[in-house]
Amino acid sequence: MASPQLKNYLRSNRKRLGLSQKDVAFLLGARGGAKVCRYERFSREPSLETALAFEVIFQKPASELFAGLYKEVEQRVSARAKVLTYRKDFQNPQGRSTRKLEAIKAIMSR
Amino acid sequence: MNQSKHHRILAIAPSSRGFGFAVMEGQETLVDWGVKAVEGDKNSGTLEKVETLIELYQPTIVILEDASAKGSRRSARIRELMQKIIAMAATLSVKAEVLSREQVRKVFFAEGLGSKHAVAAILAKRFPEELGDRLPPKRRPWMSEDSRMDIYDAVALAVTLKNWNKKAIRS
Repeated sequence: MASPQLKNYLRSNRKRLGLSQKDVAFLLGARGGAKVCRYERFSREPSLETALAFEVIFQKPASELFAGLYKEVEQRVSARAKVLTYRKDFQNPQGRSTRKLEAIKAIMSR
Repeated sequence: MNQSKHHRILAIAPSSRGFGFAVMEGQETLVDWGVKAVEGDKNSGTLEKVETLIELYQPTIVILEDASAKGSRRSARIRELMQKIIAMAATLSVKAEVLSREQVRKVFFAEGLGSKHAVAAILAKRFPEELGDRLPPKRRPWMSEDSRMDIYDAVALAVTLKNWNKKAIRS
């Protein structure tokens, strides 16, 4: 059985750079390393601002740093996109609906 | 024993002070690595910490050194601990595998002969960002083993499992 991706890879990226949790907390503008520890242990999800700060710190896209979380979100959006295609205006698409349907199908094929 | 790319491996290398661990996934990506010191009742303390690691990383396989293999000089406490880790992995529905020192050396050396430090040096080169700056100096007869060697032991087990069907790494 294969393992699903981890929610995030913050710890490995931090360790690769030789930074401590306290260093990262300072860079994030947090008070102490405890918050960083909670992110690394998947017990807390960062805000958008913090996720972007992690992107700046580790020089990697957030979708890579939060690979497991990204996968979960991707699956949920893809499932919603499928539901969207059942709408009446997508049954016989014309004009703008054709473009929309193409965009939705692209989301579904990710 | 060949592992496909989405398997996550947790390698545990118990020692007299605690244990070294390595979490590896994909082709050969280190996700986490380190040494954990255990005080007091070492076996129950180690079991507790290993359980936390299993719950956190949800590995497909837990890998340990084969203490019952010919030439293994692990103490009775560590042999008992390894059995307990295997039993605990089973209760957590995680597969456990053991690899002998000989199997590790066969993966790292074409001739199957080489020191523990030589294995560590190969790993430090192979994972320069993760392990490059943690390689301890070569141990002299009067020195006790550096605790950082436990990390290299754990990583060596994980690399061996990943490469068991391939040629020796250094050959």
